[in-house]
Amino acid sequence: MSEVKNNTNPGPTPKVDTRKTEINKFSLIFNKLGIWVIVILLAVVGMIVSKGDFFSSANIQSILEAVALIGMVSSGLIFVVYAGNMNDMSIPMTMAMSGMMTVQCINFGFPIALLIGLLTGAFIGVINGFMIGKLRANPIIWSWGFNMLLSGIARVVWGGKQLYADSIAKDTEYAQNAAETFYAIARTNVFGIFSIMILVMLVMFVIAWFIHTKTSYGQKAKIVGSNYEVAKFSGINCAKVAMITYVIDGVAAAVGGIFFSALRKTASYENGTGYDFSCVTAVLLGGVALAGGKGSVVGTFGGVLAYGILNNVLSWIGLGTYEKYLVQGLVFLFIVWLNTYSNRKLGKG
Amino acid sequence: MNKKKFKINANFINNYRAYFFLIIIMIIGIFTPKFYTAFNINAVTGNGSLVMWLGLGFTVCLIAGHMDLTVMYMSTFGALLCLGLHSINGLPYIVCILIATLVGVIVGLANGILVTKFLIPSFIVTLGMQFVVKGAMYIYTGGAELSIGKDYAFNEFLNEKLIPFLPFSAYFLITTLIIFIIMIVFRYTRFGRNVYMVGGNLETAWLAGIKSDRVTTLVFIISAAACAFGGALNGVYSGSASITMGEKGISPLMIALTATIVGGTAIQGGKGSVVSTWVTLIAIAFLKSIFKKTEMQVLVIAVILIACVCYETITLYRRNKTVGTRPNLHKEYLEETGKAK
Repeated sequence: MSEVKNNTNPGPTPKVDTRKTEINKFSLIFNKLGIWVIVILLAVVGMIVSKGDFFSSANIQSILEAVALIGMVSSGLIFVVYAGNMNDMSIPMTMAMSGMMTVQCINFGFPIALLIGLLTGAFIGVINGFMIGKLRANPIIWSWGFNMLLSGIARVVWGGKQLYADSIAKDTEYAQNAAETFYAIARTNVFGIFSIMILVMLVMFVIAWFIHTKTSYGQKAKIVGSNYEVAKFSGINCAKVAMITYVIDGVAAAVGGIFFSALRKTASYENGTGYDFSCVTAVLLGGVALAGGKGSVVGTFGGVLAYGILNNVLSWIGLGTYEKYLVQGLVFLFIVWLNTYSNRKLGKG
Repeated sequence: MNKKKFKINANFINNYRAYFFLIIIMIIGIFTPKFYTAFNINAVTGNGSLVMWLGLGFTVCLIAGHMDLTVMYMSTFGALLCLGLHSINGLPYIVCILIATLVGVIVGLANGILVTKFLIPSFIVTLGMQFVVKGAMYIYTGGAELSIGKDYAFNEFLNEKLIPFLPFSAYFLITTLIIFIIMIVFRYTRFGRNVYMVGGNLETAWLAGIKSDRVTTLVFIISAAACAFGGALNGVYSGSASITMGEKGISPLMIALTATIVGGTAIQGGKGSVVSTWVTLIAIAFLKSIFKKTEMQVLVIAVILIACVCYETITLYRRNKTVGTRPNLHKEYLEETGKAK
């Protein structure tokens, strides 16, 4: 460049364009297939490490059961990240509150208790959606503070106690049956292979895929996530989109919370601790950009699977719970870097 | 010299809300038995000092426009390293603390490089680094609890009062000193002003010739190193350290965040003060001694945080509503046409 500006030169030298024109093949492949490359790689590693036991039905079942709760919550959380709201930090208390409400209302019968639990999640979602969508609060700070507020309320109202469904249920047969059904939902196998939890997770992912690709809401969420101003000036009701986003997220977290308390047989304010970070890990592994507007439900399912398979493979290798954290963190950082790198190489990020 | 008119209004209260919070807590303290005793003040400020380091790290990063979630595990790791090196390897305390701080510097450097060179958002980087630090911590200790052993000299030094007539422990005074040093650095040096500029507008800062990558990396290093150093001191001060050191009761990360927001640091970055965070943390520490129950503590702290976030959000919402509009259009029209009285 300096030669062009130099006046002593007889004339401008012809510029040679040294920029690459061919697209980076690896980035293209990774961008198209995303996390599934990693899933297949991990499965191959698992095959080698476990000497063939990896694809036994018992092992696959255990992988899926381990990620079922994370999968349920992630299927709702993906919309929050996708619509540009970074992360919903109120997931732990949404899970805990819905579980506690379900257990508290177990006397009305199981279906009504379930409905109340789901409505709790939806209600929390509405408040989040109003504050973040309408009043434009910072998503992370608001949901984090709201999580703490809910935690305080739950602790004060229930006095920091743990709730047990069978002790809360009255002596009538109806209530006792409801409590038994509540415990059973996390322990029953359908067709003898899949437990209900896995089935619910898969159904929720299908619903999320449908909402994401086939409805106008999914398209609007993409525009809102990628550019808020453009969405606003093209006539999209951004507040409404955010509201729907958070209601979906709240309901998904509520389903996760109800299954969590059914699985642990207790409901307390500590129930969902740590799920905010582990779920966003799964979602980000699936190639959803934190800035919003990029990603897919299929990818998120891959991310959830990768999370489970990584844990399983590390167990096959023989690492303890403690060492797993280190490897998980490094793998997470590596995959997210791969995502951003491939996006940048293709000029998408 | 232009004199500003002194006025007590909502804006004034909002700007100095950390100090008002502390004053209100102090007033409530008058009605609490055994509140204004030297022992209570000493214990409260000493036990609250760990969170002050976390608040320092979090605020510094938020001023530069980034989130640092590693602070909590970094401080625990610092404490474990310091105590482990002393009791197992037999190194003197100064070397132990230096090594712990060095590990903090390395983690901060990794954070900064991942954020600036690999262009990953800071939220993700520190989220992943959180797991890495947690894993390293578990591997180092194997889940065991570490204690200072039989060498009480340094522990006693941190616990005793440096200045005879003030009921503050040496640990708290060291914390305060470092926080004020960092405040001076951030307010009066070129580096400090650069941090504010990078946080306010990264692109403008870059165009103005600030080496924004270097500034961001340095901020991450300061945050992680301060947390490791403070954690190491806290380990010696309290005499023992375990992996769940930070997780009892309310999460310290949560308190650090609350203090940062209540202290007036802007969420988008570019505005804020370390000292306001420090004042808020003192208030929260005293609040804990007023409300003894954990349940009430969580509720009260959460209500304060939510009130601050709501106030800021609604103010911003109202301001954004009137941007680009002419609310006094009718009045202007009347004045122009001479119909106004």
